[in-house]
Amino acid sequence: MPELPELNPVVHGRLRLALLSLLSGVDQAEFTWLRAKTEATDGNLGAQLLKLEEAGYVLVEKKFVSRKPQTAYRITESGRQALAEYVRALKQLLSLGPPVGAESV
Amino acid sequence: MTDQINDQELNDRLRLIENMIAEGRRHTQNWGWAFVLWGIDYYAAIAWSAWGHSAWAWPVTIVVGVAITIAFASSRAAGHPVTTLGRAIGSIWIATGVSMFVLFFALGASGRLTDGHVFAAVASAMLGMANGASAILLRWKAQFACAIVWWAAAVATNFTSDTGSLAVFLAAIFLCQIVFGIYGTIAQGRKNNPRVPAHA
Repeated sequence: MPELPELNPVVHGRLRLALLSLLSGVDQAEFTWLRAKTEATDGNLGAQLLKLEEAGYVLVEKKFVSRKPQTAYRITESGRQALAEYVRALKQLLSLGPPVGAESV
Repeated sequence: MTDQINDQELNDRLRLIENMIAEGRRHTQNWGWAFVLWGIDYYAAIAWSAWGHSAWAWPVTIVVGVAITIAFASSRAAGHPVTTLGRAIGSIWIATGVSMFVLFFALGASGRLTDGHVFAAVASAMLGMANGASAILLRWKAQFACAIVWWAAAVATNFTSDTGSLAVFLAAIFLCQIVFGIYGTIAQGRKNNPRVPAHA
């Protein structure tokens, strides 16, 4: 039986996956836009973005525009690569049929 | 962790990725207000130059239009993502605006801008080019219709009387700036509203 690919646990979290996917479609996005698109709470969104930042998958830029603080995020090259590898692994898992341990579901 | 995942969850993750990537890519800022603003700006310049007979009518109204556009665009940019498509469309309009300003300012300053037909034709052709390029990038039929109207105006202004040429130019501004601007505001507002929840 072929070996099952491992899914990157940092990318796999639903909100983190949504954030990486959103950021892969834009050059740069603000916290408020990401919050509106994911409908996540400030605390949860901030925590997940921090995890992605710590993994080196997103870059954060904090600045002031018209005296208002703005936090912008962009996906890094390793973030893009991690997302691509995650998609590859997902597709491979789906093509292999039900994963081990899924029979009882 | 792979062991505890079923097919439904895997498919759900794939759908989420597709939806979110599409959400980011299809996001375009609402620029309908800018079309309306510039339509009013052109009308103000035409009225001022027709009744005031001032050589400053176009340069002053264009500079005022640019200042309002920059101020308003900066205030509206907050909360919108920067996209490659947005930068591509922005570059078309900035380059067209600079080209029109430089050309017409030089023609006016040198005293060679004496034929209103030529002015209306060149302005219409350049606006047709910007609308056409933007429409092709956005795959937006309504904007391509505007480009056709501008190109038709660029031809028609050469074969009509002074009054007819002015009427054609005014009508093109009304259709492609005022009407299209209002339509664009409504259409883009609808397009950017749908949301895909993605709670952790």
